[in-house]
Amino acid sequence: MTVVVGAERLTKTFGTHRGIVDLDLSVAQGEIFGFLGPNGAGKSTTIRLLTGLSHPTSGVARVFGLDPIADGVAVHRRIGYLPGELALHSRLTGREHVDLAAKVRGLRARTFAGELVERFQVDLDRPARTLSKGNRQKIGILLAVMHRPELVILDEPTSGLDPLMQDEFERMLRELVSAGTTVFLSSHELDEVQRVATRVAIIKDGTLVVTDTVEGLRQRAPRTIEFSFPAIVDPKRFASIEGVQVVAINERRITLSLRGAVSPVLRVAAELDPLDMVARPADLDELFLSYYRDQPGAEHIDAR
Amino acid sequence: MRADIAFVDLRLRRRALLSYVLGMALYALIVVVLYPQFKDSTSLDQLTKNGSAFAALFGATGSLTSPSGWLDANIYENFLPLIMLLITVGYGASCIAGQDEDGTLSLAAILPISRAATALQKVGALTVQALLLAIMTMACVLVGQDFDLSFPFSHLAGLTVGVTLLGVDFGLCALAIGSITGSRGTALGLTAALAAASYLVSSLAPVIAWIRPARYLSLFYWSVGDQQLANGATAPSLLLLLAAGVVLSVIAIAGYQRLDLR
Repeated sequence: MTVVVGAERLTKTFGTHRGIVDLDLSVAQGEIFGFLGPNGAGKSTTIRLLTGLSHPTSGVARVFGLDPIADGVAVHRRIGYLPGELALHSRLTGREHVDLAAKVRGLRARTFAGELVERFQVDLDRPARTLSKGNRQKIGILLAVMHRPELVILDEPTSGLDPLMQDEFERMLRELVSAGTTVFLSSHELDEVQRVATRVAIIKDGTLVVTDTVEGLRQRAPRTIEFSFPAIVDPKRFASIEGVQVVAINERRITLSLRGAVSPVLRVAAELDPLDMVARPADLDELFLSYYRDQPGAEHIDAR
Repeated sequence: MRADIAFVDLRLRRRALLSYVLGMALYALIVVVLYPQFKDSTSLDQLTKNGSAFAALFGATGSLTSPSGWLDANIYENFLPLIMLLITVGYGASCIAGQDEDGTLSLAAILPISRAATALQKVGALTVQALLLAIMTMACVLVGQDFDLSFPFSHLAGLTVGVTLLGVDFGLCALAIGSITGSRGTALGLTAALAAASYLVSSLAPVIAWIRPARYLSLFYWSVGDQQLANGATAPSLLLLLAAGVVLSVIAIAGYQRLDLR
């Protein structure tokens, strides 16, 4: 396995404020690596360290085995980057932005760029200040991938795109990966990441809490069980069972989130004469929300 | 060396730069054309007689009716440096710190070009802007030879180089402070304060004895404050301004290389 992106005990602090702490990462060539976390978790900080835009406080970042700061030119030649809060020069048109990047990158043939302009219906002729957020984002995507980089680092890439363009974007990602590109995709949108990513890391409060394949996470995800009873029941009877969390109570209806064996739940429910029961398959959303919400200082689970 | 980033910066400042340069050119032409009306006005020289500190505050010392005195008092010791610094300090504060604050600097920082090369392109763009203003003003002042303003061309050329370097040096000062702090406001504020102190020291030195020794610390003195139009700029003074620019460039590059971008 060729490691394209690596981080060892990568740490960044801003004065007394936490950025990221002791982050370990490894992204293999040709994979789409989803980097998930709530707002403020440290996703963009990590990306700025990997792209060499920011200096680590301690630890090591490596891209293609190179230091993104000391070997910045060599790294930047091989990567494309879409920032989370894309800012374009308000007076310049999309074409002027593309021309600058193409000239500095020595990009002569712009066939792929032209194809992307068609596919995403990019408006290249109006000043950036007159464009909608979605249209500016399309220019950002174009700047990130038009030179067919070996690694694309995307921070909240579909922000502002309409559903049609989001589909087109996912199609483009799959095409890039099938041609050998590695994708580092940061987002707080689970749906976006689970549709395209092969492996996922979740960051919370500056620390990685889990790294796994999407399938592995799915297997570990909690199931949802819903019971209807003839009378109001005490939710504590279920809450006290190990691996069970009471998600919702609506008079005589109770919704549980369950990890582990189902039999203890069924035994308690049977004593209460349930009228109905609905069990839903593993809920990935619930798993992610539980990581976001419930695990302060959780041990990092790495299931590579 | 490529200059793509410098061209983009110049393109972004095109309108403001042209407005400043054309405004300054118009003002210089008016000053030049008015000279024949004032050259025999002895009352004007009364203003600076006996070393008036008030006149010195506005950059007027010595004879105001001589060609060099007229141009110094109306253009080269005050108004041109002011416009020059508006252009160069404004650009110096915005081209790294300002662009980082509004998020556009990462567009260039992610390209395969070193930070040192990017910073050097910005030094180049700064110099082009300063040169444009100084040369345009020089061209308008040269018209003055048809309006009784006579002076050696070499003196005007030396003064033009000096005022260009003055602008570049203060622009670099703003660029360096911005590169180190990442703050446009800090860069503008500190540089403006330094420039104001430098101007005061240079302009008051001829009339206030205790300030005189401090004039050697003022970039204004070495560029426009030592009667360069009448006597000619000296090579050491221009070299000193150039050396200050080199030192400030090195500081700016080092600061940018250490700066964490947004």
